[in-house]
Amino acid sequence: MDDYAEAAVLIANARKTYRPVVGAVHRDAVSDVSISVDRGAIHGLLGPNGAGKTTTLKMLLGLVRPTAGTFRILGEDSTRPAGRRRVGFMPEQPYFPQHLTAAHALKLYAQLAGVPRGEIGSRTSALLERVGLAGRDKTTLLTFSRGMLQRLGIAQALINEPEVVILDEPASGLDPVGQRDVRNLMLELRDSGVTVLLSSHQLSEVEAVCDQVSILNAGRVAVEGDLDDLLNVEGRSSVRAKVPGDTLPPPVAALAGSVAVSGGLWVFSVADKDVRAAVDGIDDAGGRTLAVAPMRDSLEDYFARMLAETAGEADER
Amino acid sequence: MIGRIWPIAIGIVTDSIKRKVVYVVLVFAGFLALAIPSLPNYGLGVESAVFREVALALAFVTALVVSLSLAANRVPGEVERRTVYNVVAKGVSRWEYLVGTWTGVFLVSGGAIAAFAVIEQVVAVITYGDPMWRLWEGALAIWLEMGVISAFAVAVSSRTGPVVVVTASLAALFAGHSRSTLLGGEGALALKPFTISLDSFNVVNPVAHGSGVPGVYVLSMLMVFVGLSAACLIVGSLVFSRRDL
Repeated sequence: MDDYAEAAVLIANARKTYRPVVGAVHRDAVSDVSISVDRGAIHGLLGPNGAGKTTTLKMLLGLVRPTAGTFRILGEDSTRPAGRRRVGFMPEQPYFPQHLTAAHALKLYAQLAGVPRGEIGSRTSALLERVGLAGRDKTTLLTFSRGMLQRLGIAQALINEPEVVILDEPASGLDPVGQRDVRNLMLELRDSGVTVLLSSHQLSEVEAVCDQVSILNAGRVAVEGDLDDLLNVEGRSSVRAKVPGDTLPPPVAALAGSVAVSGGLWVFSVADKDVRAAVDGIDDAGGRTLAVAPMRDSLEDYFARMLAETAGEADER
Repeated sequence: MIGRIWPIAIGIVTDSIKRKVVYVVLVFAGFLALAIPSLPNYGLGVESAVFREVALALAFVTALVVSLSLAANRVPGEVERRTVYNVVAKGVSRWEYLVGTWTGVFLVSGGAIAAFAVIEQVVAVITYGDPMWRLWEGALAIWLEMGVISAFAVAVSSRTGPVVVVTASLAALFAGHSRSTLLGGEGALALKPFTISLDSFNVVNPVAHGSGVPGVYVLSMLMVFVGLSAACLIVGSLVFSRRDL
């Protein structure tokens, strides 16, 4: 099977150039973006403001005409309407016709998505309950809060039981409980075989749920890959240990880097080849090693470092 | 295709009901009631003909207000509020969205015209003891003309905002009824084949003063309605399909 058929979402060499008024300089919102999302994965799309995330998603969904590039969802050209019928999309800050009730809005989107008439009622009830809006089916959307509209946005994205779900800042405007619910929902979708493409500024959310990420900067893909591969610091391990006294034993201190301590609990990194020596040193000092794991960056640190590195490259271009 | 166009149209009808568009009908019905005592007091037949003229004129204005207020705002509003994203991302073609929007506006204007025609008949029965069934022929002509005007408005709104849409639509309406005036009586008449006229929908004389509109004429009105509306919607769809949302 080729890449076009195998990937759930495939974007190849996407470019969008805005040509404003005569005489103005052409502006590339997206210069060259290629992304491949595996089936059944949660793929994060990250980047600073203006990186081209939303424009890329809009091109993928036929909302913006691409200047160049190939866009496939489940093997079909997603710039054509027929190629989007197995997709659910929640835009950033979803808006709805305000005079409709929640149930009427979901019914409208179900009809547009071709949901069989007999299933619309049951799906509407089930989805409203799933997104935490049970009992609100007859409420006019005019009275909905931002968070409730956000939840309804997720429900409308799922009304056609899509195989691919594209979420643009789904946790925006939600309280902490709502954010946790959204994270759990994405994990449930993945467990049921649904592919999720998530665009988000909330790095903790991305780190918690995503299998793969693409980081965009200045209209290009700066980094793409498995989150574990990107964040694991090659050749070093992280050690957590209980050690008596105010200092690390000298043989261990000589090997340790990035040392942090709190209440007798020490966390430090050592080179992989020195792990055995560090554990022995802790034992010899009467301490106890609690955990040894591959050392991992936080996504926030990685993201900031990567942006700093690629900023120079973008300037050179 | 119909499964996607129809829900959009029904959404507009529902929205219009909840926004109480019917108030427009009631306001103009009030004007009609107020106008009755001021009608010139000729012989009975002449007076009822004048009533029919006034009734048709007010029905026309009612339908125009309803059609333009809906057609001019709907697409620009949905694009601005981004409610169109949820629709297009569901696999709805842009032309289906435009045609659905127009269908909804056309249905609402039909409902408004029908409601107004009923009010006219009630007033006619009370005042003249005559239900004046011919007013329905006039109502049909007005409805078809509003279909063309709203198709034009929806097409223009696929690229511009409400102010431009209303201005352009009123200009088109004026030009469509002023072909002879605009072209004059001599040399400019050579341009006649290139101008589009809405005069086909003007049935005031046969409805108010004559013996009604012949069936063949109704058929020809229908053909003009289909042709002009389709042309506007095709152009609008082409323009809208090239637009970034």
